[in-house]
Amino acid sequence: MSEELGNIALREAAKNGASYADIRIGEIFDENLTVKNGVPEEVNVLQSRGFGVRVIVKGGWGFAGSVELSREEAKEVARRAVKIATASSKLKKKAAKMVPAETRKAKYSTPMKKDPFKIPVEDKIEVLMQAERTLAKQSSLIKTSQAHFRAFRENKFFLSTEGAEVTQQIMWCGGGMSCVALRNGEAQRRSYPSSFRGNCGTSGYEFFESLKIVEHAKDTGREAVKLLDAEKCPPKETDLILYGDQLALQIHESCGHPTELDRALGTEADYAGTSFLTPDNLGKLRYGSKHVNIVADATVRGGLGTFGYDDEGTPARQVHLIKEGLFVGYQTSRETAAELGLRKSSGGMRADSPLALPIIRMTNINLLPGGWKAEDIIEDTRGGVLMLTNRSWSIDDRRLNFQFGTEIAWEIKNGSRGKMIKYPTYTGITPQFWGSCDAVSKDDWMMWGTPNCGKGVPGQVMYVGHGCSTARFRKVRVGLIR
Amino acid sequence: MVRELLLEIAEKTVKLASKERIDQAQANAFIRDTALTRYANSQIHQNVASKAGGVALKVVKNKRIGTLRINSLEDEQIQRAVKNVVKIAKVTPPNKDFRSLPQPQKWTPIKGVFDKETADCSPDYRAQRVREIIETAHSKSPKVKAVAGSFFTGSMAFAISNSLGVSAWAELSLASVATTVISRAGRSQGFGSWEQHSRCVKNLDAVAVASQAAEKSVQSVKPSRVPPGEYEVVLSPLAVSTFLDFLGYIGFSATPYQDGESFIKYHLNKQVFDEKLTVKDDARDPKSLFTMPVDGEGVPKRETQLIEKGVVSEGSICYDSLTAGREKKQSTGHAAPPFLGWGYFRPLPINMIASPSDSSLEEMIADTQHGIFVTRFHYTNPVEPTKAILTGLTRDGTFLIEKGEMSKPVMNLRYTDSMLSALRSIPLVGKELQCLQETTVPAVKLEKLRFTGITEY
Repeated sequence: MSEELGNIALREAAKNGASYADIRIGEIFDENLTVKNGVPEEVNVLQSRGFGVRVIVKGGWGFAGSVELSREEAKEVARRAVKIATASSKLKKKAAKMVPAETRKAKYSTPMKKDPFKIPVEDKIEVLMQAERTLAKQSSLIKTSQAHFRAFRENKFFLSTEGAEVTQQIMWCGGGMSCVALRNGEAQRRSYPSSFRGNCGTSGYEFFESLKIVEHAKDTGREAVKLLDAEKCPPKETDLILYGDQLALQIHESCGHPTELDRALGTEADYAGTSFLTPDNLGKLRYGSKHVNIVADATVRGGLGTFGYDDEGTPARQVHLIKEGLFVGYQTSRETAAELGLRKSSGGMRADSPLALPIIRMTNINLLPGGWKAEDIIEDTRGGVLMLTNRSWSIDDRRLNFQFGTEIAWEIKNGSRGKMIKYPTYTGITPQFWGSCDAVSKDDWMMWGTPNCGKGVPGQVMYVGHGCSTARFRKVRVGLIR
Repeated sequence: MVRELLLEIAEKTVKLASKERIDQAQANAFIRDTALTRYANSQIHQNVASKAGGVALKVVKNKRIGTLRINSLEDEQIQRAVKNVVKIAKVTPPNKDFRSLPQPQKWTPIKGVFDKETADCSPDYRAQRVREIIETAHSKSPKVKAVAGSFFTGSMAFAISNSLGVSAWAELSLASVATTVISRAGRSQGFGSWEQHSRCVKNLDAVAVASQAAEKSVQSVKPSRVPPGEYEVVLSPLAVSTFLDFLGYIGFSATPYQDGESFIKYHLNKQVFDEKLTVKDDARDPKSLFTMPVDGEGVPKRETQLIEKGVVSEGSICYDSLTAGREKKQSTGHAAPPFLGWGYFRPLPINMIASPSDSSLEEMIADTQHGIFVTRFHYTNPVEPTKAILTGLTRDGTFLIEKGEMSKPVMNLRYTDSMLSALRSIPLVGKELQCLQETTVPAVKLEKLRFTGITEY
């Protein structure tokens, strides 16, 4: 059906004047389970399918999508896309041009051991119930406790007038838990393994099992309660050590987004913003210290942004963004790569559904491991703060001034963890911050998944990954809450 | 008619589910038919349309709840979905908080909220308006270098049916235009933005939006640094809208209230904001954008007083049937409609209207000795919800006000402040309301807002 439908749409588009056309036909299964305060708050399944046709007519782009998978609708949607592209062509300074296609016929599916959709729902809920119960019973001060599971499967078929024919199945799953301890109007939250519903990776159910959430519930609950009695993060300039779960979001916001070439070229200026990493800085701007090596890598096993081919049919690859502190690369599409004079796309075009237009999205943006052991970084620090687990985030529209808050921190004094600190926050300017990075560990390097990255108009939500470990930054301003 | 088709599908789905020996069933059939023309660097670069539809199903058996959503209106898919959602409910443990799906209540449709011309708007029409925006912006000054934005048109409808007899629908058209203009002088850039929203595309004034954005953009090149600290601020409606949106999310929603994370929980019946601040949520008020007669569960929409002369109360909290059942209350009609999509997973006020007063923007500026004018905020997020502390940055036109006049553009600033402090003293409230998606708000002047950092542009 897919191939036939795809060919019908592409023929119709070409017949009506499209010089290029592609179609993505897809089906998504998305299972969300949440247990909160002893009851299953969310047992929700989303099943969606549809297709989207993207065309170029007289140098202008057009896109149309529909949920109705029929031959007639395929023709109708193709004609609609052509009509839209024709309108675009009337207000286009230069014709759309892309670097050459790299893929003809290909297949990919996420490697996995256990299909998460074949595990009975009741078994998954039972794990969540156990974890949630354990969290709740740590203290009567814990007023909210919850545990989550999510599994996602996307089957997609890509066909283009250039001869590409790509079939993929992307599978990911994960979960986590959190609780809130409340006393006199003060709320302290702890999450495991990370905030915002935990951690996810492209994998089977074995990934969720590896999180061992029930085993970690006791410590998670107790930490939330202890935070109520902790000291507030004092305002000062100090050395900052970030654990991977917080560093992942720091990478996401201050390196992932500004190295998206559409932002740098101004096409996201109206919403997400632009980027301080403009093309004239490529290969020249010192983004960070020599310890900072960051790649976009859609090939790393288990990463939430791992796949076989992007939504333009470009094969997954690794691209250096920052090399020994120097800004050296962008995340691109075929069109933006051509605009910059590059030979290849980085393979970053992704859409959150068949009905959405692919745009440049992060794959896995990874800070490569350094030479330290995480514990050695702490032992090497005379005075500082170790922060874990994101609680709040904000960054300006060129990705320079950022401010993050975390759930918990520890004072570091003479090479050892000292007292627990609550309301930790830190702020900085991106290149100065990364320029102050003087240690990156290797022993605790792992992948963190961000399943909710928002971008674009109309808004799209994408699943992306970040590989990182513990790292240290010198003289950072902390303690912004009065 | 779309709504009749959707109602037929919803009722048929409930009948199908009811045959499966369940206690209660609900089906919400929806269609979202939208198109958007996006432009940047003064040309169209994305131009899209999509027609999405589906059914959101909920079934209950012995307090065991299953929910399933399919993006299809086809019979075969719906039949399969009914079987699947019943299976899900059967293996789900009981939810003791569940009392009942909503009982049917009398509701009346709202006339005049669907405009066929808007729903059927052509790509050529949108392209023509975009051309006007780009040409208008560039005509304002040779400093204008790039125009970006989006022009959106479309329609949305849903029909809700449940096994207790609820049968209702909502249908509306929507149009919006947003523009960001970038100017340059030497190596310095200036930004300005503006937007308009309406249920009728003909009400959008593309030229006015372009003019406003271009003017701000040109004025904001070569910004100066001002030190962070507490300043008087004059907030445009766009900036006010951000504060109110977040108060709705972290404060007025029943979910954070029940979790103990809403600031309202700790300030009931107290003068928490300035008495000049009065905000209601009213989906039947035509000043609101998402005008609709019922919520996503078919509960009739009615006015909810969120802030009454600066005071919040238990009546400020927005419930759907599940959160209301938890407190043995009735839903206030704040279940999210299915077409709003991602992010609307808790009961929320999406029709917030602030009461205007009698000040003009010029009067607010004239009344300010040493302050900051904010066009809009960027990337605001809660830092500490129980204290309503937010952080974010200014964007697209930030100016220093000295001795009653806008004296010069300044580099964007980061604020980190509690809304309980920032909105405690509001010397002036604007007389004109602007409709901005979930909020309809005037400009306001605040006695102080705490800026904690500065950007480099």
